[in-house]
Amino acid sequence: MTEEAIQLRGVRRTYRLGKTDVPALEDVSVDIRRGEFTAIAGPSGSGKTTILNIIGCIDKPDAGRLLINGEDVTERPLHALAGLRNRYFGYIFQTFNLIPVLTAYENVEYPLLLAGVRRNERRERVGSLLEAVGLTAHAKHKPQELSGGQRQRVAIARALVTRPLAVLADEPTANLDSKTGNELLDLMAELNESEQVTFLFSTHDAKILEKAHRVLSLHDGRLVETKSSEILRAVAGGRS
Amino acid sequence: MTKFFRIAARNVFRNPRRTSFTLLVIVFGAVSLILAGGFIANNFQGLRELTIRNGIGHLQIFTNAYLNGPEERPLQLGIENPAALQTWLEAQPHVVATAPEVEFVGLISNGEKSEAFLGRGIDPTRQADLGFNVNMKSGRPLGAGTGESEVILGTGLATNMKAHVGDALTLLGTTTDGALNAIDVRVVGFFSTGIKEFDARALKVSVPTAQMLLGSTRVTKLIVKLDETGNTELARAAIAAGLVTKGRTDLGLRTWRDLASFYKQVVMLYSSIFLFLGVIIVILVVLSSSNTMMMTVFERVQEIGTLLALGTRRRHIVLIFLFEGLVIGAIGGVLGCIAGYGSMLGINAAGIIMPPPPSFDRGIALNINFVPSLYAAVFALIATTLVISAMIPSIRAARLHIVDALRHV
Repeated sequence: MTEEAIQLRGVRRTYRLGKTDVPALEDVSVDIRRGEFTAIAGPSGSGKTTILNIIGCIDKPDAGRLLINGEDVTERPLHALAGLRNRYFGYIFQTFNLIPVLTAYENVEYPLLLAGVRRNERRERVGSLLEAVGLTAHAKHKPQELSGGQRQRVAIARALVTRPLAVLADEPTANLDSKTGNELLDLMAELNESEQVTFLFSTHDAKILEKAHRVLSLHDGRLVETKSSEILRAVAGGRS
Repeated sequence: MTKFFRIAARNVFRNPRRTSFTLLVIVFGAVSLILAGGFIANNFQGLRELTIRNGIGHLQIFTNAYLNGPEERPLQLGIENPAALQTWLEAQPHVVATAPEVEFVGLISNGEKSEAFLGRGIDPTRQADLGFNVNMKSGRPLGAGTGESEVILGTGLATNMKAHVGDALTLLGTTTDGALNAIDVRVVGFFSTGIKEFDARALKVSVPTAQMLLGSTRVTKLIVKLDETGNTELARAAIAAGLVTKGRTDLGLRTWRDLASFYKQVVMLYSSIFLFLGVIIVILVVLSSSNTMMMTVFERVQEIGTLLALGTRRRHIVLIFLFEGLVIGAIGGVLGCIAGYGSMLGINAAGIIMPPPPSFDRGIALNINFVPSLYAAVFALIATTLVISAMIPSIRAARLHIVDALRHV
């Protein structure tokens, strides 16, 4: 097992909008180590989500390599990536993206069903994670019966249930009020500490940038490693 | 697999209004098929029993020689000593009654004019036992045991011969030995089969009268009536085996199905109409439900993206939508069968009378039969149709690009 959970080497990704090519990532190289609590910052459209999508194997780079657990998966065929996503990554989305017809318990359980985990173990893992996110009493509730914060807690539990290599969180607090956002951030930081789960965020949220071990800043598709304090200053400066 | 089925089943009830509309279309299709199928089955049953009662019976026994080749002379290949065979036949399981019949042709003359005829020698008493009805237009049917040779004429033949009840006519025919023969007969009535061309040539006399004309004691065939039409094959097999045991390998059997060519043509025609109706209904259901499924896919793009992101394979996305089609199809099929059954009871209870078909002088009741196999087939067809309807939308869903799907609002 390598120290680096995820490695990007010279990754380039360009989108085509009509007849125009819009570069999202240009020659991005970065290593994400196990247990890191890393944030990717940058203005809207800077490529934050694109980098998470490529790392999470839901998008493919036009050029460059992606190594997961030291293994180059860039050339893996599409059908093989579904298993890879289930095995290595947990996803937290800005819009929660829970399955509306499943209860909170079933939403958390779903990735384990895909992974073929036995019933007893599923029950144990889902139960303990719902307890960890404070939703044991809401296990039988459907997403529409939960508040935004509760939905995102379910999403966090779902992201962690397979004990993934990394949790990829795309603007996880953007749709929440600041109090709820802070609570969830504390929860994720706590899980990062206690379970040594690798977290990788794309965010504008100053609180996340403050808590992050590392902050990677994207400008014009290029990645620059920045210290948290510098970013915070930049964010504060931008507001003033 | 259960997890995908669970998602599919719950999605069916996610948009109750849309699902209700889809179910309404399915139920309408199922009811149409059940009523049309039940009506056609009722017609088949009516025509079948009419055909059997109108002279074919359930089984007919001939000599194999008669079945294999044309007779050069009347009754040359007929059945010898039919009475003994009738006694044996009537002791067989499911056999209710038997009747001999002689088929012959010849000329009928009133002294001034002669016409060719198609004659039948019948046993009126035994034919009544068989339930055969002669549609008498005037006069009376052939009497049993009268000394005088009697004849009843088809209405067309009677008109051609300017015959009246009580008139004496002469029948001319060829005997089994090839000689010409003639007998005098008295007209006692006129009958109609409903087929104009046949009525212009048909006449009936008693078996002894026909045998007298043909100079033979043989009969062309024995007609067998069974307790139930459904027992035809069973009885045919038993009688065929019994004949072999008796050493009567010279005799052969034909069922009503072998002999009722008109019935078979009608069945083919109606089956084609039913198939055409079925195809239209299936297309209607496919178009309607396919459109609904497509809308469902469009509304759930982000959800599909999430499922894919979590590691759901594309073939499982297809499966979810096919399961949805199956669940809607199964529910629609069950509801359609229930509604179809209810409609059938309602229509049958209403006692609707339809206008009389050609050659009938009375209207016929609109009755719908309960055919369990039809209900099973409609259920299977609806369920399969819905799965097929879900095919294209499900493939479209599975082909979504995850990034685009997750961005979809």
